[in-house]
Amino acid sequence: MGTLNERERRLAAGPGPGGAVPAPTSRQRVELALAHIEADRVPLDLGAGPTTGIHASALYRLRQALGLDAPGTPVKVTEPFQMLGEVAPDLVDVLGVDVVGVSLPTNLFGFASENWKPWTMFDGTPVLVPDQFNTDTSADPDGGVLMYPAGDTSVPPSARMPRNGFYFDAIKRQGLVDDDHLDVEDNLEEFGPITTGELEHISREVDRLLPTGKAVLGNFGGTGFGDVALVPGMNLRHARGIRDVEEWYASLNLRPGYIYEVFERQCDIGLANLAEIHRVVGDKITAVFVTGTDFGGQQGPLVSPSTYTNLFKPFHIRVNAWVHANTRWKTFIHSCGSIWRLLDDIVDAGFDALNPVQTSAAGMAPEALKQKFGDRVTFWGGGIDTQSVLPFGTPADVRAMVRDRMHAFGPGGGFVFNTVHNVQAGVPTENLLALYQAVNDSREYPLG
Amino acid sequence: MTVLEELRQAVVDGQAKMAVAKATEALEQGIAAEVLLAEGLIAAMNEVGQLFEEGEIFVPEMLVSARAMNAALAILKPLLADEGEGARTAGTVAIGTVQGDLHDIGKNLVAMMLEGNGFNVVDLGTDVPPARFAEAVRDGADVVALSALLTTTMTNMRDVVEAITEAGLRGRVRIVVGGAPITAKYASDIGADGYAPDASKAVRKVRELLAV
Repeated sequence: MGTLNERERRLAAGPGPGGAVPAPTSRQRVELALAHIEADRVPLDLGAGPTTGIHASALYRLRQALGLDAPGTPVKVTEPFQMLGEVAPDLVDVLGVDVVGVSLPTNLFGFASENWKPWTMFDGTPVLVPDQFNTDTSADPDGGVLMYPAGDTSVPPSARMPRNGFYFDAIKRQGLVDDDHLDVEDNLEEFGPITTGELEHISREVDRLLPTGKAVLGNFGGTGFGDVALVPGMNLRHARGIRDVEEWYASLNLRPGYIYEVFERQCDIGLANLAEIHRVVGDKITAVFVTGTDFGGQQGPLVSPSTYTNLFKPFHIRVNAWVHANTRWKTFIHSCGSIWRLLDDIVDAGFDALNPVQTSAAGMAPEALKQKFGDRVTFWGGGIDTQSVLPFGTPADVRAMVRDRMHAFGPGGGFVFNTVHNVQAGVPTENLLALYQAVNDSREYPLG
Repeated sequence: MTVLEELRQAVVDGQAKMAVAKATEALEQGIAAEVLLAEGLIAAMNEVGQLFEEGEIFVPEMLVSARAMNAALAILKPLLADEGEGARTAGTVAIGTVQGDLHDIGKNLVAMMLEGNGFNVVDLGTDVPPARFAEAVRDGADVVALSALLTTTMTNMRDVVEAITEAGLRGRVRIVVGGAPITAKYASDIGADGYAPDASKAVRKVRELLAV
C-alpha cells in the first residue's frame, strides 16, 4: 500500500459532515485505486483502452436501451480491428465511467480515424467507419470484408472479416522464412520515431479530455513486445520479416536471438517516443497502456516461464523503470488467459495495473489473485466473466457476479472495475443493463 | 542411445534436421518405416503431449516438435504408402474452425498432435460451413473436430451437429469440440460426443471415442 499524502487522505475520507471535503474527481478516484487506497467508490472503466471497450454492435443496442439515441443512429467504430465502438461522453456520464483514452490518430490498419461514412454491419448494426475502411464485399469470394493496409487497395488485403462475422483477423501474407536473409529491420518497419503530427494530435486530445475530470489512459503503442495481434503488420503494404503468428510463436523457440534483437531495438524506439510524448503532455496522463501481448491461454501460459523471463521481462523492466523514473504515469499490462505461473515475474517487472484479469482461465480465481498480488498490482478488469456469464447467463447471474467481484477485488483499493476484456458482440442488452446497474449499486466504499 | 531413441529425442527437442538425419540413418540400418513411425515419431509426440499437459512445455516448444515430426514423417511417408494407407492410420479426423471464425492456432495444434499420433487428418481450415463438415463425414471421416475461439461463433457448433444429423450421418461419426469458451457442459448441450481443453487431451479424447 502506498503512503498517503494529505490530498489523498482528504480525498479518501470523502465528504465530511458539512460537505467540506469534495468528492474526488474521476481522475483522483483512479489515482487512489492505483495507490491502493479506497476512494469514495470503485472506479469504472469502459472504453478507455483497446481491451477495455465494447463492440459496436453491443454498444448500439446499449445506447438504444438507455434512450441515448433515436433508432437507427449509428455508433462510431473507433477501433476497426476489433470493431470497438465509441464510448461517447453521454454514455460516460450515464454509466459513471471514470477513465477515458487517448490514442494515436491512425489505427491498426494504418489509416486515420476520420472522414466518417455510414456502413451497416452484417448483423444490421448501423455504424460510422473511417472513409478508408473498405465496405465493398464484392472482392471477397465468400462475401466477407477485406481490409487493406493504409487503405491501399493496390496491394493485397491484410485482414478479413468473414461474412456474418463481427471481427477482423489478419490474413497470412508470408511464405517460408529464409533464415539466411532474416534482418531485424524487417520486423521493425512499423516502429519509428513519433511524428510531430502524432504528438500534436496526442497533445490536443489530452487537453480536450482533461477538463472532463476523467483519468486518461494513454494508448500509444510501440512498447507491446511480440503482440501477435500486431506481429502480422496489418498496416504495412509489404510486411517483411516474421509475420505469420504461428511462425512467430515457433521463433520464440527457434530464433530467440533474433527476437531479442527486435525487442531491444523496439524498446529503444518506444522509450524515445514515450519521452517525446511526456515532453508534450507531461503528467496529464494517468496511466499508459504498455503492452497487450497475451501470455496465457485458457488452460495455462502460452510461453514458458523462462521464455517470459529471458525474452520479455528485460524489456518490461526497462519500460516500467523509465516511466517510473521520468513520469508520474502508472503502467498498464494486458494479458489474456491463465498467467498465474508468470505473475510473480510480471508483477516483479514493475507493472502497476493488470488487465483483463481473465478469471475464467485456469488458476485465476479472484480471491487468490487478490490475496497474493493485491498489494502490488491494481486489478484493472476481472469485473465480470465475458466468456460465459455476460453472454449466456441471466441478469441475475450478472448482478451476483458483479457483487462478488467488488468484494473480491475492491477491498483496500487496487481495483478498477472493467469487464474481462471488451464487451463482445452478441451480449444480451438486458445483461449489459444489469451489469452497469449492479456496478452502480455496489461500488460505494465501504463495500456493502 | 539407439537410433530410434535418438529420433524420438530429436522430435521431443524440436530438432528438425536431427530428426531427418536420424530417420534416414534408421532406414539405412534396415528399420521398417512403420516401426520408426510408431516407436520414433508417435512415441515422441506422446511424450510432447504429456509434457504439455504437465506444464513443462508450451506452445512454441509444441510447434517446433510438430515441425520436427513432420520433417521426419516426410521421409517415411512414401515408404508407408507402400504398406497401404489404412494400415498405418488410427482413424480419419476432419478438423476445422467453425463458420464465422478465422482463428486457427489452436485448431492447428490439435491437428499436428493428431497427425503425430498416427491419425489421418483432413484439415478443412477456418470459417468452415456446416455442410462442409457433413461432406467430410460422407467422405469417410471417423471423427469431426470443431474449434471456436469466439463467444459469437461457438454457437455455430450446434449447427454443425445438426447438419450432420440432418444428413443422416450422425451415427457414423464422433464429434469433439474445443476452444477457449467451450466447456464439457456445452459439448453435451449441443449433442457432441466429447470436449477437450487442449491439444494433448484432444488426442486422448479421440482415441477414447474410437477405442484405439
